[in-house]
Amino acid sequence: MCSDGPLFDHISADLPGPIKDWFARRSWQPRTHQLQMLEAADAGESALLIAPTGAGKTLAGFLPTLKALSAGQHEGLHTLYISPLKALAVDVARNLINPIDEMGLPIKVETRTGDTPSHKRQRQRYDPPHVLLTTPEQLALLISHPDADRLFGSVKRLVLDELHALVTSKRGELLSLGVARLAKLAPDLQISALSATVAQPELLRDWIARPVSPQKTRLVTMKGGAAPELNILASEDRVPWAGHSAAYAIPELYDIIKQNGTTLLFVNTRSQAEMLFQGLWAFNEDDLPIALHHGSLDVGQRRKVESAMTAGELRAVVCTSTLDLGIDWGDVDLVVQVGAPKGASRMLQRIGRANHRLDEPSRAVFVPSNRFEVLECEAALEAVSEGTQDSEDPVSGGLDVLAQHVLGMGCAAPFTTEALFEEITRAWPYSDLTMSQFKRVVEFVATGGYALKTYERFAKLRLTEDGAWRISNPRVAQQYRLNIGTIIEEPMVKVRLVRARGQRRGASTGPIGRGGRVLGEMEEYFFNQLAPGDTFLFGGEIVAFEMMRENEAYVSRAFSEAPRIPSYMGGKFPLSTFLADRVRRIISTPDDWKVLPDQVRDWLALQRDVSVLPGRESLLVETFPRADKHYLVCYPFEGRLAHQTMGMLLTRRLERARARPLGFVASEYALAIWGLGDLNAMIRMGRLSLDDLFSEEMLGDDLEEWLDESNLMRRTFRNCAMIAGLIELRHPGKEKTGRQMTMSADLIYDVLYQHEPDHILIQATRRDASRGLLDVDRLGQCLQRIRRHIIHKPLDRISPFAVPVMLDIGKEPIFGEGRESAMAEAAQELIREASGR
Amino acid sequence: MNAALPSLQDEIEFMQIRFAGEIFEPLLSGALFWPAQRTLLVADLHLEKMSSFAASGQLLPPYDTRSTLHALGRDIADTGASRVICLGDSFHRDEGVRSLPEEDRARITALTGSLEWIWLAGNHDPTPHQLGGECSTSIELGSVALTHEPTRGANGLIAGHLHPAARVMLGGRSVRRPCFAHDGRLLILPAYGVTTGSLNIMSQPFHGLWHWPDLKVTMLGRDRIYPVSIRRLVGG
Repeated sequence: MCSDGPLFDHISADLPGPIKDWFARRSWQPRTHQLQMLEAADAGESALLIAPTGAGKTLAGFLPTLKALSAGQHEGLHTLYISPLKALAVDVARNLINPIDEMGLPIKVETRTGDTPSHKRQRQRYDPPHVLLTTPEQLALLISHPDADRLFGSVKRLVLDELHALVTSKRGELLSLGVARLAKLAPDLQISALSATVAQPELLRDWIARPVSPQKTRLVTMKGGAAPELNILASEDRVPWAGHSAAYAIPELYDIIKQNGTTLLFVNTRSQAEMLFQGLWAFNEDDLPIALHHGSLDVGQRRKVESAMTAGELRAVVCTSTLDLGIDWGDVDLVVQVGAPKGASRMLQRIGRANHRLDEPSRAVFVPSNRFEVLECEAALEAVSEGTQDSEDPVSGGLDVLAQHVLGMGCAAPFTTEALFEEITRAWPYSDLTMSQFKRVVEFVATGGYALKTYERFAKLRLTEDGAWRISNPRVAQQYRLNIGTIIEEPMVKVRLVRARGQRRGASTGPIGRGGRVLGEMEEYFFNQLAPGDTFLFGGEIVAFEMMRENEAYVSRAFSEAPRIPSYMGGKFPLSTFLADRVRRIISTPDDWKVLPDQVRDWLALQRDVSVLPGRESLLVETFPRADKHYLVCYPFEGRLAHQTMGMLLTRRLERARARPLGFVASEYALAIWGLGDLNAMIRMGRLSLDDLFSEEMLGDDLEEWLDESNLMRRTFRNCAMIAGLIELRHPGKEKTGRQMTMSADLIYDVLYQHEPDHILIQATRRDASRGLLDVDRLGQCLQRIRRHIIHKPLDRISPFAVPVMLDIGKEPIFGEGRESAMAEAAQELIREASGR
Repeated sequence: MNAALPSLQDEIEFMQIRFAGEIFEPLLSGALFWPAQRTLLVADLHLEKMSSFAASGQLLPPYDTRSTLHALGRDIADTGASRVICLGDSFHRDEGVRSLPEEDRARITALTGSLEWIWLAGNHDPTPHQLGGECSTSIELGSVALTHEPTRGANGLIAGHLHPAARVMLGGRSVRRPCFAHDGRLLILPAYGVTTGSLNIMSQPFHGLWHWPDLKVTMLGRDRIYPVSIRRLVGG
């Protein structure tokens, strides 16, 4: 918080004595941006502060609150603070209570999260502190109580922390609706929002301005301090063609850890974290304290790592995005990004984790795990150095989240359609919602919104004579509060370590040890593909799957060298459009190659010699035979999700063109499709046109047809249905038996889709699927970009660029090879057996 | 693979189920057709299951009954059956008979009026009703007995109740699908209703019901059925 402040003299005069003295005692001065936030508040306006990590954002957000409350005259809740992480709320409370105590101000600060004891939560509603620090879910819960107007009527200020992280998710949609209600309950509400640097700060400003009055909202931007020091690991060893393990770099990474204080090693997926952690320990002859942190590990285990980190006891932590946000975990000397950076803004934030002091440069090292990633790292390094941003923009609102909110508002008080519509369209993500859509959402909440009216008797909301919707009984509210929130996890099972049943692999007799230690949790679908005896990495050790028992997966210690099942799942975030463009530029501009390592430069040159280099705006399509199949490999650089969708759609089209496609595999950079038809010959003889094949029309009927039978829709539907309250996991007094009280979401989807394909939940599902798992928008932009810019290169064998994606065959999930083939083979086997062949 | 490709005749024979001296045709939908008796057997329709969740506050799409009836109507038309036997749990709850939407009730009345219809009682729907056709607890036809719940030590019994499914694992891939399974003495049908889940035949509720070495398993694929080798079955 120490810095120069030219405005100090004339503005700090406006600060109350105790606060001024506190700064003076420390020989600190408020920073310019802190004072600008204060100025906005004094003028009665909301403000958005865009600042890098370590810029004293918390104080910038709270200085106006401290000033307003220093006189000790405010009764009731004054400031509400909302952060995406409950740990962050707790941490900010600590950072706030200390100065308040030192200033001797009469301000009561409390946190409220899912962990707060219920008697305390109860008390907070009738005897609130002056400042309450909480999460979006808790806000939703609080405004659903009939006495919300009493609690929030006195509120003057709302502080939204890490807003950039919230606005791109459903939690942000829920938050926007909560803020719209809050602005109505507290007419004087001012918002101070805090955000990391984003691509379009104006959108964020509009997001906070829309519900408040006056809507005039200031944008305060703080430029970063010292420029970060960035490097790409120049490995002595060979950078591999493909793969994601970065195993080649482990000796060098170990040296880096040895030479630095505390190092954070970021990876993109949990299984990469596991592999890297294991690799480093295999090398750790000095017994350096190196820890592991990711979302599947037991919470207790994670907290232990965090406190050891804060206490400065660790030399390195291998972590995933779980450590992306928020809290200061002590002095980090160096950030290492292992694997693809994916986006410039993401990288900038991760790099900001090193050294939370503005005047010293953050230091970071990029470690590409394969050759394409070298190019991506180079692109990210350039972008970060220039300070260019490619963060996601805030999203428009989902109908599932809206449905949840509507029921919550019904629980708070009766509402009329018109008044609630007016209120919710003041939430930025819902500003374009139409009245007719809104009415359908209300109908859905009330009776399911089906054309077939059978649930009047069970209605949750009823329209009364005065034209207001009311909840039909108190149980509706009780149930709503149990199921609130938008974070729907995949169904998880606990992973418990037990004693093996026998030494023989796959032995199925003998007792199995019970009641061992819980290692953590993992997605249920992962275990669906395992057979007893299969080994995988978990919590830094290789374990063997034993069996499923109720809601737990039993595993035992395995004594094998390498896990049999690679649990690599592509990361959640695709390569940003912005970085992709830069990667294409680097590839197509040989003059830019000089910064690249020799082996990568040679690889690019080889590609140029035997095939063609993909252009910046064009799409390179290579076709070649290999073994008894024919391959088509293209390089859109649009991320795995968009490539998967493209693969599904191209396969359908190739089938129609009688090219007899068999399957495909997608990587972040390329897509490979193979089949029996000779693509070279078909194109040469004019029986297949690549322009037609890649035409945007594939996003029309082909996409529709494919969605009909796609499992992605079913998977997405489950989330929407749970958020919208169609499926409720928890019932009052019956939390334990929740599983038995629900129906498979797949079955519900099938029945609903068959009879009402236009139901609002199907609409919500379609929106989420095309945006998330399918990345249809991105694919659309890509197809538009490459229209009439397709460069076909027929080859007689595989090209250097095609090698990485071809190596992924067998490691990555392959699509298109009939899911039923295992059954068909088992049947063939039986027939052969029976007919004595 | 080409050399060992079985003939079409082999394939067709493998698609049949020979049980208790009779020949049955398993259908993709999970119904079992008995040509000699022109009888269609279906188990566990669980009609009105979706609406049974309404009381607990979950207003699920009330269209499951018509989806299941639609499939049943198609199977009847395709096979030309003159008799339908529902092997119990035709309704998810006894109350389902009352909660039926008008359109679905009319559809059932039309079906039961046009061919011989037998509703066997199940644990979900033990009470006889007036929807047309005959309500009973069990029935004997030809050389087989039909009832809802399978029993140990039966001989020539066809039942439902357990919603059997199998998972095959081959070359690292696995598929789990509902299945028909019999050991020559007891045949269990998969659940027919569109809302029904399934249980792996290697799980506890099936223990001791079959003489495992004699077990024949026929899985329901997307476009065809697959008689599979029990050596490839796994749990889960």
